Amino acid sequence: MDNPCSTFLHLSLLLYVVGAVAGLLFLGRPRLANLFSFGFATVAALCQGLSCLMALVGGTAATNASARLIPSMVPYVEFTVRQDPLGAFFGIIVSLLGLALSIYSLGYARGFYGRKNVGVLGSFFNVLLLSTTLVFLADNAFFFLMTWEVMALSAYCLVSYEHEQEETRKAGVLYFIMSHIGTGCLILGFLLLFQSSGSYSFASFHALGNTMEPAHRNAVFLVFLIGFGVKAGIVPLHIWLPAAHPVAPSNVSALMSGVLIKTGIYGLTRVFFDFLGTPPNWWGVTVLAIGTISAVLGVLYALMEHDLKRLLAYHSIENIGIILMGLGAALMFLHTGHPTLAGLALIAGLYHTINHAVFKALLFLGAGAVLHSTHTRNMEEMGGLIKRMPWTAFFFLIGAIAISALPPLNGFVSEWLTYQSLLQGFGTTESLIRLMFPLSGAMLALTGALAAACFVKAFGITFLAQPRSQHAAHAHEAAPTMLLGQGILTVTCVFLGLFPTVFLRVLYPVTEQLLGPNLGWDLSRANGLVLQTTADHGGTISTLGMVLMAVCLLPIPAVLWVFFGRGTKVRIGPTWDCGQRGLTPQMEYTATGFSKPIRMIFKALFRPRREVQREYDFSPYFATNIRFEAHVEEVFQTRIYRPLNRLVLRASRRMRALQAGSIQAYLIYIFITLLVLLLFAL
Amino acid sequence: MKPDPVAIAIQTALLLLIAPLISGCIKNWKAKLQTRRGPRIWQPYFDLAKFLRKDMVISEHASWIFSAAPYVIFLSSLLAGLMVPMVVAQAPLSLYGGVLGVIGLLALGRFFLALGGLDPASAFGGMGSSREMTIAAIAEPAMMLAIFTVAITAGSTDLSQIVHSSGGPLWKLLDPTHVMAFAALFIVLLAESCRIPVDNPATHLELTMIHEAMLLEYSGRYLAFMEWGAAIKQVVLLTLLANVFFPIGIAQDTSFPMLAVGSAAYLLKLLALAAAVVLVETTNAKLRLFRVPDLLSASFVLATLALMSTFLFH
Amino acid sequence: MNNASPADLGAQLITLMAALMLVTQLLLAVQKMLLTSIRLFAIQSLLLAGIAAIVAYFHNASHVYIVALLTIVGKVLFLPWLLDRQVRRVRIVQEIEPLLNAPTSMLICGGLTLLGYVVARPFTTLDRLGNNTLAVAVTLLLTGFFLMFNRRKAISQVLALLTVENGVMLAAVALTTYGMPLVVELGIFFDVMVAVMVLGILVYRIRDTFASMDVSKLSQLKG
Repeated sequence: MDNPCSTFLHLSLLLYVVGAVAGLLFLGRPRLANLFSFGFATVAALCQGLSCLMALVGGTAATNASARLIPSMVPYVEFTVRQDPLGAFFGIIVSLLGLALSIYSLGYARGFYGRKNVGVLGSFFNVLLLSTTLVFLADNAFFFLMTWEVMALSAYCLVSYEHEQEETRKAGVLYFIMSHIGTGCLILGFLLLFQSSGSYSFASFHALGNTMEPAHRNAVFLVFLIGFGVKAGIVPLHIWLPAAHPVAPSNVSALMSGVLIKTGIYGLTRVFFDFLGTPPNWWGVTVLAIGTISAVLGVLYALMEHDLKRLLAYHSIENIGIILMGLGAALMFLHTGHPTLAGLALIAGLYHTINHAVFKALLFLGAGAVLHSTHTRNMEEMGGLIKRMPWTAFFFLIGAIAISALPPLNGFVSEWLTYQSLLQGFGTTESLIRLMFPLSGAMLALTGALAAACFVKAFGITFLAQPRSQHAAHAHEAAPTMLLGQGILTVTCVFLGLFPTVFLRVLYPVTEQLLGPNLGWDLSRANGLVLQTTADHGGTISTLGMVLMAVCLLPIPAVLWVFFGRGTKVRIGPTWDCGQRGLTPQMEYTATGFSKPIRMIFKALFRPRREVQREYDFSPYFATNIRFEAHVEEVFQTRIYRPLNRLVLRASRRMRALQAGSIQAYLIYIFITLLVLLLFAL
Repeated sequence: MKPDPVAIAIQTALLLLIAPLISGCIKNWKAKLQTRRGPRIWQPYFDLAKFLRKDMVISEHASWIFSAAPYVIFLSSLLAGLMVPMVVAQAPLSLYGGVLGVIGLLALGRFFLALGGLDPASAFGGMGSSREMTIAAIAEPAMMLAIFTVAITAGSTDLSQIVHSSGGPLWKLLDPTHVMAFAALFIVLLAESCRIPVDNPATHLELTMIHEAMLLEYSGRYLAFMEWGAAIKQVVLLTLLANVFFPIGIAQDTSFPMLAVGSAAYLLKLLALAAAVVLVETTNAKLRLFRVPDLLSASFVLATLALMSTFLFH
Repeated sequence: MNNASPADLGAQLITLMAALMLVTQLLLAVQKMLLTSIRLFAIQSLLLAGIAAIVAYFHNASHVYIVALLTIVGKVLFLPWLLDRQVRRVRIVQEIEPLLNAPTSMLICGGLTLLGYVVARPFTTLDRLGNNTLAVAVTLLLTGFFLMFNRRKAISQVLALLTVENGVMLAAVALTTYGMPLVVELGIFFDVMVAVMVLGILVYRIRDTFASMDVSKLSQLKG
């Protein structure tokens, strides 16, 4: 790996380390700590991005060999990295987000001056970026697990950054526990793979599944699904996501939602497509089903939230579901022997991965800017921010349009690709399983429409109409570096939406590596203007074409305006208030009210409860105080996790009897174990 | 299949001119069925001209979203219309998007419509936005499943391909898949173009409005473009239903006799579907908001049955 | 009509009518107004008669015409009139809340349709006009049973039983050689008529005794 790619890569790794150290060095001087740690992170991210892009587009990624970073004294543990296409693709995601977020953090961290230690924030930020990069590059199972752990630990430290609040502490602990459950499953999975291959390097795991016995293979599949699924946030392993993402500082939330959960997707892709060979049918069906359920449940719970960041966290669950739908469909196509369609589905899933990373990070940055200005995460206290924070509002709007899968932005393109792969799936098999494809497509349509409803609510209640509190009324625009960070991501969203055929050139090497060369179909047409699918006379789409056409049609309303409406005046007046003396902010629609129809329609899922308490002096019609409380049941907590907790605690209490406290008892345990081992060896 | 500027211009003009006519016909025929005289069928043209000439009053709380929404709705509906085959089997913009592109563009228009309802800080607008987005969300799975069924039988989401494969012997129109997908999409049409039994387009009570509530604060040329956009959306959906399920008489090429037959057939089909809408509107009452999911889940089950009919009966 | 042989047209019509029978069954599953339910049943029986008539036409089996005629006289005209009269006499025109709500009922019926298809698949290789309607027949049977316990008013349960019988008759007409022997058809037919008339009288008696048509009140008869 001695070419410009590897030079840039090594440089970026070095710079991350320097940034982490710098953050700790300047512990007492927040301004310098901010500048140096996030500054180095920016440059490091830029180098890494260049490296990965060059590797993918230049074609060197396909042939990269492992390189040793540091020599190791321990057998089986090799610190080897390899920049293969899959790793390089995810490396692009990390670097892009790292770049934008580091620039944003330069302005955002100013909010912590005097209150908290900015150096710690910067240092752990760099460590997180470094470890995530290494996760995508690692070529040895032990090294992978080490970097995975470092990533989880640094994320925990960042989540608990504002540990003065109890909510934050609890969220951090929950994240920590769930993360380790996942890591435990991963260790088990890698050990199972080692049993079959005899070595811990990823190269030896390649296509290992074809030589393993079915029971062994299925165990590996399940264990890795749970292990990486916890990190990705699939239902029902997602409970840590809505707790941890909101309480972290916003740049960390963006990084977690944008990159950390994608490590789960990276792991799943690596294991399912690189390690495990040709899958049996039920794997694909399971992944598709889990994806569909996560998508629908994620967006339904998002609609019920009025905490802006929790809402965004639930949307991450939804989008992970959509990505898994693509991956599940690809697995099913691999089983039925349709590699071209598998490539289409895989491209759809991976494209959605980067799209989600970009627009979710954009939305979190916007939410962070809003939080910075209004000091509240509660949407019901915001409003009217579009006039006070115009640029943040515009960037948030672009993010909202992208996540609602509306043309011409990137969410629409990746969902179009997903629809096309599901559509063509119906014809691949004769069994009744093929009904899953159109039904998943219908559920995808449901999530898209519900996401649009949710973001009308999120954008409308937060930014439009009148401010609902003093903080919102006195909000100010975000700092220029924060705007720059959001701007970079906005431009990327628009680019990924309007020029999908250009970006596909980055994805082709990845599918080639995982599914074999020569998929036999080029997804681009008309010199890259149009995106097409892999069927004859199949569907085509061109977001750029739509935008150009819309520009061409603009003269029509203009001409009508000039022809009919010349000389009309525009007057500013009050909103229709039914003849009363003027609308107050309390008369506006609220976020809770906006989602009430959905709450009522799906009440079998939500089991909403409401409580109204009135205090009155002489008549209930003249209340002096009214208290309204509305709850939505947290199904997974009450039905799955709390009973599980109780079970574990009960079992532990029984086991406590073993700890008798007397030395003789312990000596007896050791003696019995020795006897058993001797008898066993006989 | 590169976009032909002449075809684009002609189809745009056709969309712009036919949309108010269909709205006017529906209003007039509804009145006639209720033994009233009703407005003349050309009335919407005069209404649009009147709105374009009037001054505007904009709310003090509104922002640029309020001003941008009418144009987004107008242009997105027009763009969607250009992707649907009307007189000729090959839609002008079919290269840039098929049925999924149409749905996406209409969804974009609806997004901005809902934001425009929330912007002026009016409670009625907020209520309209909330209900509109909810109903659209419940209608989407039924619509997507019905379209999937049609696309599966045709092998593509390209509308020209779908229209082409629906052709053949006339009695193929009696295929249960066809009939049930049509019924499912007809119900979705009622929901999307805000007709009874989902929404009452003629109500004056704000608490019963859905689409109208989001338009309450608009006046002048903004209102003209909003109304026109909604009318064009209605025509787009009617055209989709007409040409996908009854591709009789659609012109296969641009020769003059085929064009003449195609235009006449198209107009007739459009008016027949409009008459069906009028019939449904007059014989039904508006449903309570929380009964609308029952209707739309019936549509979903019909679409599922249509899907299952592709292999149930063969 | 271009390139259509008459047999194709017949097959298409039968398929369409069977599908519409399925649709009416689903509408019955969610219908609350008893009078509308009776009309839906009448439509379903009319479609069944139509299928019988088409089978008779293409196989030149004249006794199946008689079956069609009997169906029209009995199930489209007489029984609906009888049940209608019954409903009007007791003056209860609406069903109370069923056991499961409308969307759940519809989803279950959808699942039963799928089950019907799976069950009927081995038989669809028979080369007969209308062999693809066995799935619908089995579905009518299953959904009819489902409706019988989902509903609480006696008249709705009677209607559900009648739809089960419709399903059986559909299977008989479409599958067996030229329909079942006429004697068997007549026997079943009159059986059903008598059953409905007895049930009609019983309903009136139930209502007289308990002032309600809710069959769960019958549990009060226990000692």
